[in-house]
Amino acid sequence: MPATTRLTRRDFLRLAGLVSASAVVAACAPAYDRLGGPAEPSLTGPYPLSDTVTFAVLNRLTYGPRLAERERAAEIGLADWIEEQLAPEKIDNGPADWRLRQFDTLTMSASDLADRSSKLFDEVDRQSVPNELRQATLLRQVYSRRQLYEAMAEFWTDHFNISVNKGDCYFLKTVDDRDVVRPHALGSFHDLLWASAHSPAMLTYLDNQANNKEAPNENYAREIMELHTLSVQGWYTQKDVMELARAFTGWTVKEHFWRGQFTFDAAQHDNEPKMVLGLALQGDGQREAERALDLLAGHPSAASFIAAKLARRFLGASAPAAIIETARAAFANSQGDIKAVLRPILFDGLLGAGTQLAPKFKRPVNFVVSALRQLDIETDPGPALHEYLQKMGQAYFAWPTPDGYPDRDEPWTGNLLPRWQFALALVRGEIKGAAGAVPAAAGGAPETMADELSTRLLGRPMPATGRDDLLKTLRAAGAPAEEVPAILAAGLLASPAFQWR
Amino acid sequence: MTLTNTRRQFLQSAAVLAGAVAWPASLPRLAFAPAQAAPRGDTLVVIFLRGAADTLNIVVPHGEAAYYARRPTLGIPRPDDTQAAAKLRTIDLDGFFGLHPNLAPLLPAWQAGHLAPIHACGAPDESRSHFRAMELMERGVDDERGPASGWIGRHLATLNTGNHSPLRAVGVGQLPQRSLSGAVPVSALRSIADFHLGGDAAAVSQMQAALTALYAGGEALSVIGQETLEILDTLQALDPLGYTPAHAARYPDSEFGLGLRQVAMLIKAEVGLEVAAIDVGGWDTHFAQGGSEGQMAGLLADLGKGLAAFHADLFDYADRLTVVAMSEFGRRVQENGSLGTDHGHGSLMLLMGGNVVGGKVGGQWPGLEPEQLVGPGDLAVTTDYRDVLAEVCLKRLNNPAMGDIFPGYAATTRGFLKSRT
Repeated sequence: MPATTRLTRRDFLRLAGLVSASAVVAACAPAYDRLGGPAEPSLTGPYPLSDTVTFAVLNRLTYGPRLAERERAAEIGLADWIEEQLAPEKIDNGPADWRLRQFDTLTMSASDLADRSSKLFDEVDRQSVPNELRQATLLRQVYSRRQLYEAMAEFWTDHFNISVNKGDCYFLKTVDDRDVVRPHALGSFHDLLWASAHSPAMLTYLDNQANNKEAPNENYAREIMELHTLSVQGWYTQKDVMELARAFTGWTVKEHFWRGQFTFDAAQHDNEPKMVLGLALQGDGQREAERALDLLAGHPSAASFIAAKLARRFLGASAPAAIIETARAAFANSQGDIKAVLRPILFDGLLGAGTQLAPKFKRPVNFVVSALRQLDIETDPGPALHEYLQKMGQAYFAWPTPDGYPDRDEPWTGNLLPRWQFALALVRGEIKGAAGAVPAAAGGAPETMADELSTRLLGRPMPATGRDDLLKTLRAAGAPAEEVPAILAAGLLASPAFQWR
Repeated sequence: MTLTNTRRQFLQSAAVLAGAVAWPASLPRLAFAPAQAAPRGDTLVVIFLRGAADTLNIVVPHGEAAYYARRPTLGIPRPDDTQAAAKLRTIDLDGFFGLHPNLAPLLPAWQAGHLAPIHACGAPDESRSHFRAMELMERGVDDERGPASGWIGRHLATLNTGNHSPLRAVGVGQLPQRSLSGAVPVSALRSIADFHLGGDAAAVSQMQAALTALYAGGEALSVIGQETLEILDTLQALDPLGYTPAHAARYPDSEFGLGLRQVAMLIKAEVGLEVAAIDVGGWDTHFAQGGSEGQMAGLLADLGKGLAAFHADLFDYADRLTVVAMSEFGRRVQENGSLGTDHGHGSLMLLMGGNVVGGKVGGQWPGLEPEQLVGPGDLAVTTDYRDVLAEVCLKRLNNPAMGDIFPGYAATTRGFLKSRT
């Protein structure tokens, strides 16, 4: 990746042409006009145009809607489109699947991954395995047709955060992603929590592999209650943390043969009686903590916490209390069936909000992936994109603390410069592994090109007068017709409107 | 400056266009109405050690027998412990407390009277949750109630210093600090060297002009975009790669070292910096913490070298500079079974600058005997962290708006700092 984005003088003159028209671009931002009243009548474009509600809903549920997804949703209706997405196993995913075949570490066992990472003279390659996982994750988000499923995988990746920069997590996270997060992303919360607790990556990340009867280590016991199930308001005490830590003594990870496998070391387990949230545990070995997992997964505090957190993910900070309450009840009544919790959030919350849906600031991953998807840019998806994500603050699997990347707007809004750098580098083809011309109607009228780009990126064409002013300015700046789409695209990607979803 | 004028003209013409747009009322706008005016005081640098640093191994109570009884493997050897190599022993400060050996680079600051560790600091919160503790501490409040903004954000919002620089507050770290959030837009800087769009001068000005127009609106994100552009202007005049620290100071080659170096450069460039917040992570040492050597010792070496370089580099600015290092809580006195320590309570704050009451360990030491500990065996808190920060605001930053900065808390000044003269 070039450290700087170099533009020729001619490019800049053309970009400057955006100046007088850019306020018009801001004016047609879907995030704002959803709130601001009825949409402009759609202009005739080369693609069937979704109404702004469809675009807004798809923008929230996908990593930036491709035109094909908008067509499909327009054809069958949003409710049926969501139903399709809730059954990802029925969606053919060929384009993503065949691209994923290049990553052979995704299917390897923990010990094979450890072997793969070890080099001569006790040197260890701590980068190759996590880099493949990062590339695979980006690739899935870009190419998978199971967009809601990928969004949920991201949600649980945050919820059960593991940084690959801790201990053996650099190779264990690949196993955790495959065996914990992805199988249960739309399944049962109980099974997800159960799998996470038995995950060598999680036990390593939160130090439970070192939790023994002589002196318990509280780290995992605390975070499983505070961050994974009950929340910090969840009515547990320091005593509960210490007792649960004792129940988890002996839950550890094999070190030599079968390295990276879960194991219960009975010799390190504390067999004395314990009391966790009123549940008496004793003399039951591995089952003690598993009984506690059953209790935590179905706890009323977990129902409230997970329902509210999911609602905020899809509806934003102002998710209505009534929707959260319905989702909480769905959790309680379904023993934590994740689809059941999602239904009121998506059907009542998202579809019910219509034009009143409050905008949400795109996190860096969403910004980058939406640019690639909405411009149909092919990606390999190599290291250059990940360097941009790091500068924007959201490299995959790299958040250090167990709370996961923040889901609020505020932490992300202050760091615009890397997004601007990315927008310019992308449309100029300067990002290795993200190639391809900015799409435009070949040989079409400039008005058509402008409409198409705006429709792709912001949901619908710019108002005709603004568009014509913009094109006039670009012509005055001397931009040749064939390069107008790229100049327009850079401005639209860098615009305030495209930072929201 | 021509560049700025050009950009302002663009801003004005774009604003005419933007005026036709009815911004929805629900999008946040800036409300900036400082309660009082005063000349700006010191530049404040707040370093947050994230993960609950084991402060008992930073400023070591080597005079406490209980410390060694509870830390058989992690304890830092006494200054006169001849069984340990000299370089692994505590560096004595006052006969009772001493510095971790890797903090030796701080001795010049200590001897100059510019260093004031305050022991047994902390917050009333006893959740022992990193996230709750950090949030409450950065907001400067007791519980969920109260303002969502941060204490530094409210300090800036309540004091009109006549300084309208977009670099008034800067956050260095992966994401902007919660403590900075508030009415004043905050700049997130990861690297000054990367803070540019590149290309030749004409190209840069054209590009900045384009972005200026794109971000000409009145809602919060556009204001952040405008701030970003102004910072681009300001930083164009600096040469981060060619910066030479004064007094032969040498910053460590780490994120922390780079962050401090950039803050020093901004201070000397006089670009209007009032508060910088810097994060240092990695302190959650449940496992294999180490003692005089090992995991945490490595963090301390970086911390010590960084602070020492900053102190030397800015020695001529010491009268106008206050540094505070803090963490969300301390760690359990008794080491755990994994050669680490679990979450505790009482912590430490470190003040550095020309106007701290330095050369002594401040605060009231509660002791480490069983009856002196709180909760599951933790250091008690005898100084609320807000007492220290309030004194910084009052005496060094000219801001008396305690009710806004620390709502619902009656701060006591305890003489950790000298007043401005």
